[in-house]
Amino acid sequence: MAGSALKRLMAEYKQLTLNPPEGIIAGPVDEENFFEWEALIMGPQDTCFEGGVFPARLTFPPDYPLSPPKMKFSCELFHPNIYPDGRVCISILHAPGDDPMGYETSAERWSPVQSVEKILLSVVSMLAEPNDESAANVDAAKTWRDDRKGFEEIAKVTVRKSLGL
Amino acid sequence: MRSLLLTGLSFALTTAVIGNAFYQKKQFYPTVVYITKSNPSMAVIYIQALVFVVLMGKMLRSLFFGQLRAAEMEHLIERSWYAVTETCLAFTVFRDDFSPRFVALFTLLLFLKCFHWLAEDRIDYMERSPAISWLFHIRALSLMFVLGLLDILFVRHAFYSTLLKGPSVQLVFGFEYEILFTVVLMTFIKYVLHSIDLQSQNPWDNKAVYLLYSELVMGLIRVVLYVAFVLIMIKVHTFPLFAIRPMYLTVRAFQKAAQDVILSRRAIRNMNTLYPDATPEELSSGDNVCIICREEMTSGCKKLPCNHIFHTSCLRSWFQRQQTCPTCRLEVLRMPRANAAVAQQQQQQQPAQQQQPAVEQIQNPFQNMPGMFGGFPFQWPPNAGGQGVPPPFMWPPQQQPPAAAPPPPPTSGSAESQAQATAASTSTPTTDDGATSTTAPTTIPAMNFPFANMPPFMPPVMPPMFSPLFSPFGFPPPPMPMDGLSEEELLTMEGIERANIEARIQWLRDIQALLDGAMVLINQYNTVASHIGSYGIQTSPIPPPYSTSGPTNASAPVQQTNASWWPEGSGARPKYTSTLSKTETTDSPKERKSSFTSSSSDKPLEGATGVTLPKDETIPQWEDPRVEGHEDDMHEVRKRRLQHFSQQLNHSYSSPLVSSPRSDDDDASSSFDGVNKSDDNDTH
Repeated sequence: MAGSALKRLMAEYKQLTLNPPEGIIAGPVDEENFFEWEALIMGPQDTCFEGGVFPARLTFPPDYPLSPPKMKFSCELFHPNIYPDGRVCISILHAPGDDPMGYETSAERWSPVQSVEKILLSVVSMLAEPNDESAANVDAAKTWRDDRKGFEEIAKVTVRKSLGL
Repeated sequence: MRSLLLTGLSFALTTAVIGNAFYQKKQFYPTVVYITKSNPSMAVIYIQALVFVVLMGKMLRSLFFGQLRAAEMEHLIERSWYAVTETCLAFTVFRDDFSPRFVALFTLLLFLKCFHWLAEDRIDYMERSPAISWLFHIRALSLMFVLGLLDILFVRHAFYSTLLKGPSVQLVFGFEYEILFTVVLMTFIKYVLHSIDLQSQNPWDNKAVYLLYSELVMGLIRVVLYVAFVLIMIKVHTFPLFAIRPMYLTVRAFQKAAQDVILSRRAIRNMNTLYPDATPEELSSGDNVCIICREEMTSGCKKLPCNHIFHTSCLRSWFQRQQTCPTCRLEVLRMPRANAAVAQQQQQQQPAQQQQPAVEQIQNPFQNMPGMFGGFPFQWPPNAGGQGVPPPFMWPPQQQPPAAAPPPPPTSGSAESQAQATAASTSTPTTDDGATSTTAPTTIPAMNFPFANMPPFMPPVMPPMFSPLFSPFGFPPPPMPMDGLSEEELLTMEGIERANIEARIQWLRDIQALLDGAMVLINQYNTVASHIGSYGIQTSPIPPPYSTSGPTNASAPVQQTNASWWPEGSGARPKYTSTLSKTETTDSPKERKSSFTSSSSDKPLEGATGVTLPKDETIPQWEDPRVEGHEDDMHEVRKRRLQHFSQQLNHSYSSPLVSSPRSDDDDASSSFDGVNKSDDNDTH
């Protein structure tokens, strides 16, 4: 009997490999350590991030799934809800206790019902529809709000960069 | 690569220094003297010693740990920096004792500390690792053994040297090694717990609890040690600046451990008292994967009031953090009373249909609480205060029997046991979460009111089948209610109970007269009813009461009849009350009436309590085919009831009250049933 966190992560990994959601690949960095995952997220279609493939790291706490994992993009991504250092700021990744932005209700926060798949799908929809009300990257939020064209230009560049072009 | 280069350089330097010295002095002893006299040579030697220590550390590390994982390395380096800073601070306190030996001892301490941290990390990793090899166990055990032994040795040494030579720097070492020894102990406890967990195929639910408690105890020991250390240091030397950070961390860890234990205890208690175990049927039907751990649920599962099912252990660890349903985020602690009622319902597992209304009864009062306060403006105020409550709130049951003629005897008995049951169910939550516990004394009497006020239709709720149910329901040795009630309240309750019984017999006599009068009325009504066919049709759903399970589905018609009945009922009632000589009785129906008229349309439930009287007796006569049977029933029932009560007088007062089933009760119960349905349609 291994720890419940490990078992749950293994179960989720199995689920993700058996039924991979569209545009998402995720799995442990190495099979020895299930608490570090790497994920590849495809930019959603019909958005300025279309065609990009963005790598991210997921770090799970020892008490997962009671506490949320941390997610950090390992590539450059100019987006209102992604900190300049790549950390993703979405409500379901916040533990119920803390409220960094001071405006989320606890209903939007982490709960054991969430999963890696749900997190990644939320991130995909976050890429498609940035929320400029609680900006992690204020510059990106401002650009998104005031200069949509410019934002899309920057996004195109990131997409090209992410593909190594 | 760089470390290799540095090591090589250090070795080369040392060789050069020693070679040079030997070359100059030719002999061993003069060489040693030369090296120790020359500062640059000694510096090189010290550096070489450090290199040896590091090399030794690497060797031991690969012996005990193998390759370090990235996280462990990071952790180690982070902690080492703090430790080095604190060691430098400690040097300032003991600058008088400063010597190579002193530095060597501190280095050794640091060195051992690193191994303690690594051991801690490694044991924590056990829980996360997919496979644990035998090598791991051997390494872990031998490492912990060696570390523990070293700690004890150093503590001993420090102790004796302090005893012999007085307080010195050994004091610091003694305390440091004691702290380290607690670390080893904690690591060992964790190791044992993890090992046991690994051996078993099923998750070991209590592991987390044991861990919490050992964490708490160790935290306490450490806090005590640090406080003692600081006090002694202040007395002997100066304030130990270097101990502040670890001490702060320790105190915080202890506080957290204590908090965790409290939260966990609360969670466990809530789990055990509030939520029912999921039945095998519930588990086998549909999706039986626990959403928390994604494992199948076979046993040991709990069902929340929102019908979501989880593993008990998963749920407990989640409740330690947050008291919401993981799936729907229902605030489970907010509605513990209703939960308790549901829990009881589940545990009773009584298939009898009558029981459900009863349980709804338990629930309703709470749900309707505000409404009831509004609904009984005259009755509530004195009771609501909760002080000096007993007499006022226990009396209503007595007043009401006459109002609702047929069902009186069981009223207070059933009300009492109901109250007990609810007290049992309600006091558990109240004692459970600290927040509500303060309100317990006021809430519990309040709980009782609904029943105290309800008796007219409570007894109906208690059908014959209910009596066996009560023994587990009302009389389980209830330690819980005692928590919520003060001695005084209990005593007054008991005393009043006895008074109740005596008074009840009195009522029974009145009721007999009343019933006789009712029969006359019935005949009159019968003739009227034959002319008004529509009423007969409307009320027809009510009488099936005799089939006891009948009208549960006839909610809408019942309400209609209620409404249409009222004028007549209210008109009829004064007559009854006037037949009864007691002043209280006349009071209560009036209050009833006023409360009913003042209550809004969805409150007929409470209002109905007063109404049941005319309805129960008059209903049957609308239905010609049933009249005969009903009359027979009535007589027989009356006889039986009187018999029963004369028996009861002889017997003890407390217990058997509830156990007499009465068909009248059936009648009323099912009619109430119908009324109640109108509120809770979905429960059936």
